[in-house]
Amino acid sequence: MIELIATAESVNQAKSLLNAGVDTLYVGEDTFGLRLPASLSREEVKEICYIAHENNKKVCVAMNAIIHNDRIKLIPGYFEFLQELMVDSVTIGDPGVIHLLHKYQVQLPYVYDPHTMVTSAKQVNFWAQRGAKGAVLARELTYQELNSIATNAIIPVEVLVYGATCIHHSKRPLLTNYFSYTKQQNVNNKNLFMAEAKKPTTHYSIYEDINGTHIFDTNDINLLPYLEKLAHARILKWKLDGIYTRGQAFVEIAKLFVQAKQAFVDNGWSDQLQENLTTKLMENHPYERTLDAGFFLKNPEDVQ
Amino acid sequence: MQVLKKKPEVLAPAGTLEKLKTAIYYGADAVYIGGNAYGLRSRAGNFSYEEMQEGVAFAKRHEANVYVAANMVAHEGDMKGAGDFFRTIRDIGVRAVIVSDPALIETCMIEAPGLPIHLSTQSSATNYETLNFWKQEGLERVVLAREVGMDEIKEIRNHTDVEIEAFIHGAMCISYSGRCTLSNHMSARDANRGGCSQSCRWKYDLFELEHQGVCQAYTDEETDEPFSMSAVDMSMIHHIPDFIENGVDSLKIEGRMKSIHYVSTVANVYRKAVDSYCEDPAHFTFQQAWEDELWKVAQRELSTGFYYGTPNEQQQLFGRRRKIPVYKFVGQVLEYNDASKIATVQQRNSFSVGDKVEFYGPGFTHVYQTINQMWNDEGEPIERAAHPMMKVRVQMDAPVKPFDMMRKAK
Repeated sequence: MIELIATAESVNQAKSLLNAGVDTLYVGEDTFGLRLPASLSREEVKEICYIAHENNKKVCVAMNAIIHNDRIKLIPGYFEFLQELMVDSVTIGDPGVIHLLHKYQVQLPYVYDPHTMVTSAKQVNFWAQRGAKGAVLARELTYQELNSIATNAIIPVEVLVYGATCIHHSKRPLLTNYFSYTKQQNVNNKNLFMAEAKKPTTHYSIYEDINGTHIFDTNDINLLPYLEKLAHARILKWKLDGIYTRGQAFVEIAKLFVQAKQAFVDNGWSDQLQENLTTKLMENHPYERTLDAGFFLKNPEDVQ
Repeated sequence: MQVLKKKPEVLAPAGTLEKLKTAIYYGADAVYIGGNAYGLRSRAGNFSYEEMQEGVAFAKRHEANVYVAANMVAHEGDMKGAGDFFRTIRDIGVRAVIVSDPALIETCMIEAPGLPIHLSTQSSATNYETLNFWKQEGLERVVLAREVGMDEIKEIRNHTDVEIEAFIHGAMCISYSGRCTLSNHMSARDANRGGCSQSCRWKYDLFELEHQGVCQAYTDEETDEPFSMSAVDMSMIHHIPDFIENGVDSLKIEGRMKSIHYVSTVANVYRKAVDSYCEDPAHFTFQQAWEDELWKVAQRELSTGFYYGTPNEQQQLFGRRRKIPVYKFVGQVLEYNDASKIATVQQRNSFSVGDKVEFYGPGFTHVYQTINQMWNDEGEPIERAAHPMMKVRVQMDAPVKPFDMMRKAK
């Protein structure tokens, strides 16, 4: 069964996404999760959980930050909070958090998600043997590799089918440092891009938050044209990330993936439908951002 | 006099057999090397099994240890033969293997039992529960992320008894190690499989897309300084007591790609500093000569990374670079004749009569000499030692020892 997982930036957007037909909402706060469209308050997460569960939908909470001592102390309390809400799963990227999950016998299913690191079935299975119910695969994998991992993994694997892809995470405040050095002020932190000196048309998004500095690939991912291949490889957990596609536009794009999912259920997927949906996706995708299939169409030997 | 519970290990990089021997001779308790596979320095000198055997035998004779880095993050198919690899290096006598990928950790545990595993810094371990996790998995040691502060180390030490290794010197990733794929996306080279193209050190334009299609280039309009993520290097020579007092078991020097000049100098300095402190902590005083010595092999400015706070703009390479005086490694002493006061030197870079050179050796010994007279292998006086590896006899004022290195300011 295909599962559509979408980030939510607010209670209102969460409602719209549920109405649109996504299966799972992915939310959280910056203290524990990485690169969320918005760091939501506990009240907001609570409300989203309530609404989702009322609609028989699920909530996954982001706990995949790289955790330092100060925050590892907050983890047991956060587990308690999430258990009270009966959230359906969490993402974890730091083995210390898994250690605490086991230590306190927390009954929360976890999905292993340290971003760049998950690149083989053997690694996925290592975490499966330590309780993981799923794993989010690295963006730097080709279709051939995804296929092989999905075949050999003993738990379901999740891939990003739409959204920006992080390619660099530094704990340093790289923008603050640069602007301090160059004595520039009042910079809009969320709307910055960097371009390679030798490739001026590149536009890597960059921003800073309490977890450090994050840089994203020049193109966002769109795997809508290749969903059939994913389905064929039995990769059925599809994530939509709205960090750079805000508000209603993201909801509209989610609707397209819901339509696609329904078509697979009904055996109605066709090239015609795929083209229609892709056209509509382009209409809703932010004007200044470009899309491609990331590493999906590359050969494994292209990047070594 | 206070007695220290435990003296930490000085751990040096060794890209080749010669560097391995040099590092150990210059005071490293242990060295880390790369094998022919599974490492992160696909372009560095890596060791064949035969070279490993020789390196391990040399290390054993000097009561030192050899670790092998196998810290790549494997893709499908990359792990073929990993079991054989781990078994072979275990049987050669490699003391431990440095790994980050859990898939390789598992392979090593199952297929090469008895070979201790150290978690690589590539895994970015930043809290004590993470160390406890890996201890429970059976790992012997965890190399901390470079983002961990000194207070955090102290707290980590209080909450876990797995061995801790921390970086004290060398170049740094500006990202959390393992969490950067700039190179994969910009250069089609996999950073986590030894292909890093150091894209973080490139220059970038930074701009805002406030309005559709209108570029507001910070770098063009407001400043000439391009954006970059490039970091300065690390040196913790001023803070060795902090590591020892906080119970760090191993002090790691970065740089498998660096020269024997670098390896010998850096190992020598930290060996001296660690010994000085441990001998008599109460009366320990920092020696400026140690820092001066490190500058002779420095390529960038030096800083303390995250150990005492979040690095600011001073810890990034912005603006015009200060010129750091360059020292050239010019030779190595093969023998010394006490009676004639003549040193026989193997040439590594050219030097001439009139040059002011510096000999340094293990134990932080230094001899400064202006070259007044020298002869070639045939005993003929020469003005310039021009040929690589040629044997030169140099008239000395003070004694030197075989294996002492000779350098001069450029």
